[in-house]
Amino acid sequence: MNGKDSFFRRPGVQTFLSSIICVVFGLLLGYIILLLINAKGASAGIVTLLKNYMNYPTRPAQMKYLGNTLVKMAPLLMCALSICFCYKAGLFNIGAAGQYVVGAGACLYGALSLKLPWIACLLFSIVIGALWGMIVGALKAYLNVNEVISGIMLNWIGLYLVNMSLAPVKELASPYTQKVAAVNKAALLPSMGLSSLFSKNQYVTIAIPLSILTAIVLWVVLNKTAFGYELKATGYNKEASRYAGMREKRNIIITLMIGGALAGTGAAFLYLTGFEEWSVTQSSVPGMGFNGIAATFLGGLSPIGTIFASYFIQHITSGGAYLDKAIYPSQISDLIIALIIYLCGFVLFFKTVMNSRRPAKVINNANDTEKKGGKAQ
Amino acid sequence: MDTPYAIEMLNITKRFPGIIANDNITLQLKRGEIHALLGENGAGKSTLMSVLFGLYQAEEGIIKKDGKVVSIKNPNDANDLGIGMVHQHFKLVQCFTVLENIILGVETTKNGILQKDEARKKVMALSEKYGLMVDPDALIQDITVGMQQRTEILKMLYRDNEILIFDEPTAVLTPQEIAELMQIMKNLAKEGKSILFISHKLNEIMEVADRCTVLRRGKYIGTVDIKDTTQEELSRMMVGRDVQLVVEKGPAHPGEVVLDIRNMTVASKVHNNNAVKNVSLQVRSGEIVCIAGIDGNGQTEFVYGLSGLEPLVSGTITMLGKDITRATIRERASEMSHIPEDRHKHGLVLDYSLEYNIVLQRYWQPEFTKNGFLDQKAIRNYAERLIEENDVRSGQGAITTTRAMSGGNQQKAIIAREIDKKHELLLAVQPTRGLDVGAIETVHRNLIRERDSGKAVLLISLELEEVMNVADRILVMYEGEIVGDLDPKQITVEELGLYMAGAKRNTVKEGA
Amino acid sequence: MTLLIQYTLIFASVLLLVALGGCFSEHSGVINLGLEGIMVLGALGGALAMKYVPSTVPAIVMIFVVSLCAILMGMLYSALLGVAAIHFKADQTLIGTAMNIMSTAAATVIVKAINVAENPDNISSAITYTGARAAFTVRLGNFEFNWFILIAVCALIISNIVLYYTRFGLRLMACGENPQAADSVGINVYKMRWAGVLISGLLGGLGGIVYITAGVSEWKFEVGVAGFGFLALAVMIFGQWKPKRIALAALLFGFFRALSNVYTGFPFLAALNIPSTVYNMFPYIISLIVLAFTSRNSAAPKAEGIPYDKGSR
Repeated sequence: MNGKDSFFRRPGVQTFLSSIICVVFGLLLGYIILLLINAKGASAGIVTLLKNYMNYPTRPAQMKYLGNTLVKMAPLLMCALSICFCYKAGLFNIGAAGQYVVGAGACLYGALSLKLPWIACLLFSIVIGALWGMIVGALKAYLNVNEVISGIMLNWIGLYLVNMSLAPVKELASPYTQKVAAVNKAALLPSMGLSSLFSKNQYVTIAIPLSILTAIVLWVVLNKTAFGYELKATGYNKEASRYAGMREKRNIIITLMIGGALAGTGAAFLYLTGFEEWSVTQSSVPGMGFNGIAATFLGGLSPIGTIFASYFIQHITSGGAYLDKAIYPSQISDLIIALIIYLCGFVLFFKTVMNSRRPAKVINNANDTEKKGGKAQ
Repeated sequence: MDTPYAIEMLNITKRFPGIIANDNITLQLKRGEIHALLGENGAGKSTLMSVLFGLYQAEEGIIKKDGKVVSIKNPNDANDLGIGMVHQHFKLVQCFTVLENIILGVETTKNGILQKDEARKKVMALSEKYGLMVDPDALIQDITVGMQQRTEILKMLYRDNEILIFDEPTAVLTPQEIAELMQIMKNLAKEGKSILFISHKLNEIMEVADRCTVLRRGKYIGTVDIKDTTQEELSRMMVGRDVQLVVEKGPAHPGEVVLDIRNMTVASKVHNNNAVKNVSLQVRSGEIVCIAGIDGNGQTEFVYGLSGLEPLVSGTITMLGKDITRATIRERASEMSHIPEDRHKHGLVLDYSLEYNIVLQRYWQPEFTKNGFLDQKAIRNYAERLIEENDVRSGQGAITTTRAMSGGNQQKAIIAREIDKKHELLLAVQPTRGLDVGAIETVHRNLIRERDSGKAVLLISLELEEVMNVADRILVMYEGEIVGDLDPKQITVEELGLYMAGAKRNTVKEGA
Repeated sequence: MTLLIQYTLIFASVLLLVALGGCFSEHSGVINLGLEGIMVLGALGGALAMKYVPSTVPAIVMIFVVSLCAILMGMLYSALLGVAAIHFKADQTLIGTAMNIMSTAAATVIVKAINVAENPDNISSAITYTGARAAFTVRLGNFEFNWFILIAVCALIISNIVLYYTRFGLRLMACGENPQAADSVGINVYKMRWAGVLISGLLGGLGGIVYITAGVSEWKFEVGVAGFGFLALAVMIFGQWKPKRIALAALLFGFFRALSNVYTGFPFLAALNIPSTVYNMFPYIISLIVLAFTSRNSAAPKAEGIPYDKGSR
């Protein structure tokens, strides 16, 4: 085996390449869709999408809109980390979407109804998110309820609960909640001078560095600590971890609580900046949690990779807004993201191909390394 | 039909990366005979049968049916040629009825609707003819293992198969069911069916087979007529030397009581009865106590109860004078090492590296974790020491993914880990399962060394030979009860077999 | 009151169709979390048919053409799940999620593109089908009978027969329970799983078009189908994967949905002053409770969600 071979056989390299394949194919398919809609503007369209904030001519404007992309990246990253962390312990936390929802409800309720300061609102989101995750965990640990199914149910229960509890603080003329900045300035996350780096973008707050810091902390926890060792062991082989004396029921609950707290924090990281308001009549669970799944898998299921994947996904989502609406709908970016998630399902196959092309003997074959799909109850 | 052979497999060679599973093997099955295929685990029996059943394609060699060369590319081809197989792990749908399982794949329909009545008549007739009693409308999940096996046999007969393969059919049966099965096989042969009987149990082969083909390490050793041979000769052919693999072993010097189990009862996961019933036993330091018995007589549940994987229904467990009946797995593990029955399910996290597996129970101890952080260096040093001392072989040493290691080396790693860990009791459950002869010897030597260093050893084994050679005291478990407390020096294998089959029992001396 | 019954029946029909679809897929061994997405695409197919078929054609032709388009779209879309889950052993939860996100995005993109092409100023994601929708209903006094209710009942009867009384059903369920056993008796597991997935596409697509025509004459595709696919999933679980029980569950959940729409029409309910969101929440809460009590001995197909590999027998 020569040096080049072994480079391509490294799991990290293979994961990276797989993600790149997903992105390239996703963009290619997106380009084809643009071509189908309107062949003339397609090339310019895909460039616009990829340029995102670079579409602005001046540097200050670019920085400002880069700021906006980052503002929305922070909650996405938190949701992705929630899913990533749980996945490492063998749990598919599709309920992150709902944990995000109740987190949003909690911080807005705290800010608008209870008039709490930001730190209390943030804590409120964390606690409620963790609680939402705990329900999934407890159902799984004690009653063997599949976490995907209970997660989906709780997503909807959470949505309706939040719609109901935020109804009293909505604007009279619109379905949206009142502006945090207008009602309770103290509930806005502090910027600590960060906004001045982004052309005084008022929405740029400590949420952005905190989300990246969280990713790094999670990486350390998963790879360097006894707790992470235990969680991953449980994820790989529940029976063996039980045999080794790990308390898998407790671990399942703790993992999902942490997952819930992360997703809940993600919501606070968005709604406590004042960047968006909650519509109390919305009839679908916000896509943030589901896009988090995309970022998790695109990030190669690593907290660090997830940072870049989250940025990329938010980058093209924001970029979609710059498409000429008279020609192309902005949902093109959602479509591309969905295509990328779909392609992430084929990562296992990509890796098998990468392994089998090499003449050296293949130790891991696809059947051995695959994770068993979730079993709905 | 000028040949007496129903099926001939001539000069079959099948290679897998790194090993030759079948090396120039010939097997000829006469019409109406029961032909045993004997060999140890890993001798190549399953591979050969998979070739016959179309699951694998052989690189070399031919298969003939009634003297004509045939090509079997998948199980359907095998079915078309009248070859049927009772797999070791039954291929039954649990929530279907017996009848539905039998007709699955060969259903008769009228206007698209299943016609079960005709099928039921045929099944009833078959079960009458061969003495295979089943209730066609019972669900598989509600019936006994023996009845499930009869369902599998009926599946073959319903398809009018002429060549019937039985893959280790007695491993899961009670002695009565084994006797019934033997009778059924004889009936089938009398009716002209040709039977291939895969086994490593000599007494069963002697009882039921006409001829026997022996494989060893993928090679063809020979075919003998049962009436011209003895168990001793067969076992010599199987293992390649005289069976007297007696390990060098001095007398035991039992000391104080380490483990004291009183009236242990454990529930079963598969049926509503208790799997372990009122079991009491003691193990002292410096002795090897072996629990012998046929698979499925409550040994697994006993081990789960003792190690803390399952709660007890009733009874107490005392270790070194301390009641550990309700202790957690980790608390028990501080004095108890456990070589688990299933190394892939319980013993290893296959996706972890070898070094991580070596600290599987101990990663949290101050030796390996400081302030919550793993001490990678300490783990590496410790793992490398154990790997070195126990000659655990792997591609990349301590950082090899355990999935990529051979079964024997995986087991070596587990044993090294369990023996090096602080313990007073070693619980070894089928520690030699799936290992080759050389590896088995190493394991046995390890167990005896443990004993001689003053540890208490509790060995759970299904292998008579192992029981006789290694144990200082034998407890026989039958249907969840201890039915015999025996001294290996004063008992013959035959007698032990009678206990294991439930034909004999003696009262257990309290705390013998 | 009539309105409540009418809504209950039509919503129950939608849930019944889609849940039966999920039932087929899961009995073959493939978890279909993409039902929501399949509904959206089915709805799109049907809505486009209604847009382009002149509303003057006879009602029966209209129903047939619209259903056919919805079914074809649904099946085509379910093939995405089939390819990934059956042949590439992809994580079925991941694929289902991708399909749900993709469906709304794709439907919106398609509808907007069509609308903009027709009229550059129209950038909405809505399709209007007032005329065509009339073909689906018959007025019986106050009660508006929808032909799709009849179709859903037929689907129930056929599903029950197919699953429990035919060779196909027996083989399909064998693949979801123990694919190794099915394979060993010569059943092509991949083929059966494809059949299960495609049937879920068929019924899911049909459910989609019924849903968007249930009470309105215009649909905004930006909102997808507002979680009805997930509700159908809950119906399937509540019905323990058995068609007859699924029908009862669909009626119950349909009733709650209908209540949330029309409860203000009942003086005593209006007096309770419970917001409609509570009625919307109810089905999910009930499902969660049922799950909590039944998951230990789940009736779910045992091999569902586990990719089948011919090699590992």
